[in-house]
Amino acid sequence: MTKLRNSFQYIFLIIASAVSVFPLFWMLIAATNKSADVLRGTLVPGGYLMENLKTLMAAQPVVSSMLNSFKYAVVLTIISLVICSLAGYGFEIYHDKGKDFVMSIILLAMMVPFAATMIPLFRMFSNASLLNTTLGFILPSISTPFLIMMFRQSARSFPHDIIEAARIDGLNEIGIFFKMFIPTMRSTYAAAMVITFMNAWNNYLWPKVIMSDDSSMTMPMLIANLTAGYTTDYGSLMLGVLLCTIPTIIVFFVLQKSFAEGITGSVK
Amino acid sequence: MKKRIISGLLVASMAFALLTGCGNKSEKESTESSGDENTLTVWCWDPAFNINAIQEAEKIYQKDNPEFQLEVVETPWEDLQTKLTTAASSNQIDTLPDIVLMQDDAFQKNVISYSDAFVDLTDTAIDFSQFAEGKVSASIVDGANYGVPFDNGAVIACYREDILEQAGFTTAEFEDITWDQYIQQGKVVLEKTGKPLLSCLAGETDVLAMMLRSAGGGFFDEEGNALIADNEILKEVVETYIELVKSGVLIEVNDWDQYIGSLNNETVAGTINGCWIMASIQTAENQAGKWKITNMPKLDGTSSATNYANQGGSSWAVTKGSKNPELAADFLGSTFGGSVELYDNILSTGAIATYQPAADSEKYAQTNDFFGGEEVYTKIVEYASEVPDTINGVYFYEARDAVGTAITNIIAGADISTELKTAQETVEFNMQ
Repeated sequence: MTKLRNSFQYIFLIIASAVSVFPLFWMLIAATNKSADVLRGTLVPGGYLMENLKTLMAAQPVVSSMLNSFKYAVVLTIISLVICSLAGYGFEIYHDKGKDFVMSIILLAMMVPFAATMIPLFRMFSNASLLNTTLGFILPSISTPFLIMMFRQSARSFPHDIIEAARIDGLNEIGIFFKMFIPTMRSTYAAAMVITFMNAWNNYLWPKVIMSDDSSMTMPMLIANLTAGYTTDYGSLMLGVLLCTIPTIIVFFVLQKSFAEGITGSVK
Repeated sequence: MKKRIISGLLVASMAFALLTGCGNKSEKESTESSGDENTLTVWCWDPAFNINAIQEAEKIYQKDNPEFQLEVVETPWEDLQTKLTTAASSNQIDTLPDIVLMQDDAFQKNVISYSDAFVDLTDTAIDFSQFAEGKVSASIVDGANYGVPFDNGAVIACYREDILEQAGFTTAEFEDITWDQYIQQGKVVLEKTGKPLLSCLAGETDVLAMMLRSAGGGFFDEEGNALIADNEILKEVVETYIELVKSGVLIEVNDWDQYIGSLNNETVAGTINGCWIMASIQTAENQAGKWKITNMPKLDGTSSATNYANQGGSSWAVTKGSKNPELAADFLGSTFGGSVELYDNILSTGAIATYQPAADSEKYAQTNDFFGGEEVYTKIVEYASEVPDTINGVYFYEARDAVGTAITNIIAGADISTELKTAQETVEFNMQ
């Protein structure tokens, strides 16, 4: 009986995973084929990978876009992790009614879609001459309500006894945060890192609006460029998508274990 | 304790200032390079097509103006529209480049909505009478010229000569015909070869818009009011379209890639679109010599009906963000508005002129082996000169989408006049 149920479960899971892996598989196949073959719907790897790579490199500044994307994503991830975790920690550990009120306002801000604030933001950034700059890219998403909330929730499970003990042992408040909180909450940081990095890497609308210089282009912008013409080279487009996906895949797999722990909020 | 926190904050703010410093520096550098008197910045989107064209234009202009430099920023059309909207609505016109390329469908909408953003080119040295009239009309607002025409969007009908032959036809028999004849002959082709004559995107109104424009019609009257429910031309267009779908002569596909696929994979025996579609057709190298080109069918019951229309195509506009609009206008005027050499150079990429003198050059008389060894370019320029004037209006996209929804419902069985009335109300609501 259980065996039968198990086999059903497995069949279901196999189908589900096949369905979710297929687009990735197809992307890989398409990257090795000619544009015309991709349109024909071929599922066999072709020998056109190097040609596609050559076309892609010739048409677009792949290397500099990759470096830009890395620069923006890494800088944003580091700064926003520090800021949001400090904020979340502060909201929970030095908890009082006023801070609760501020927190609810921050959460309200989460409900405002980015498109609604984009035009005023653009105006501010343009007046501050921040167009085409790294700072311009990172500032709007440097502190997100979601991350603050995530760190506040995980700080809730951080034992207050540790803080008391540390205070008695003479550690100052900043020290407690850096020496006690951060090492304990490593998995939360990992989860936050994956989320922030992916968001920063995939961010499209805002960089598109403020970056109008080929030298500050990011990978998602590059891919959009590949689809803009009257004729699209699907082979090199898929190769571009593949190149753009690899870094997020790596980040996710490296931090996968901690990510799962962090999202469920466990403390070791 | 407090001191430590303060010192921590200080360090943080210093790090911040440092970052800001870097930011400002690179910003200054970039404005310096483009703030140069002889440098113009351009936004456009297709490296194989319009980017190549403007770079060719740069080379030609440099012959007389060696100092001149162009900085082209590749920006897909949808993003260009977003950036334009953002810059114009936040009143930051000076963040715009000197020149932008704009889709003809959206030209009037943008000029009317953001009237402070574009330079009126009427009184410049550009001679607009040299361009095909139907093309120039797309970038005229209140009698003023705001755009220098770039690529030709003249509609062509492409047929697979070899497939038509199997059904006993030739492409010549599809020249100067009406939609009625098209459907009759299409049915025969479908019966004998199993291939429809035409494919298009479900829920999109490209084919409808072409039919409408070919009779000088549009979704709006001259005062800009929505003209959908009581639009006799549109009614005939919709009826013809439904007939096309029901007879199986037209198959609807779900996205652009499938549409291109239906051409390259021999699912259909032909297509009707702006002449820029030739570039996509030619990617299927194994079909060389099998295609032929002629004009599109015309409506039967409308007196203003012709076999010609525009679909797609784009024009250059000079923005008020330009520090040197005179240079920008002179550059466009002496290249796209005055150089046959430029149009000769870009012809191989599929950029066909609406600049009439270009059509007389030798290059345009060349035959094209892919399209049955005929003089296709001369043909297309001729078609372009026959295109009737049309008004797109500010709300063209809204009207197009509303009519698209109506079509989907009519195909599913709804009543034509009721659906068109709903579309009219939707557009009027959007216009409020």
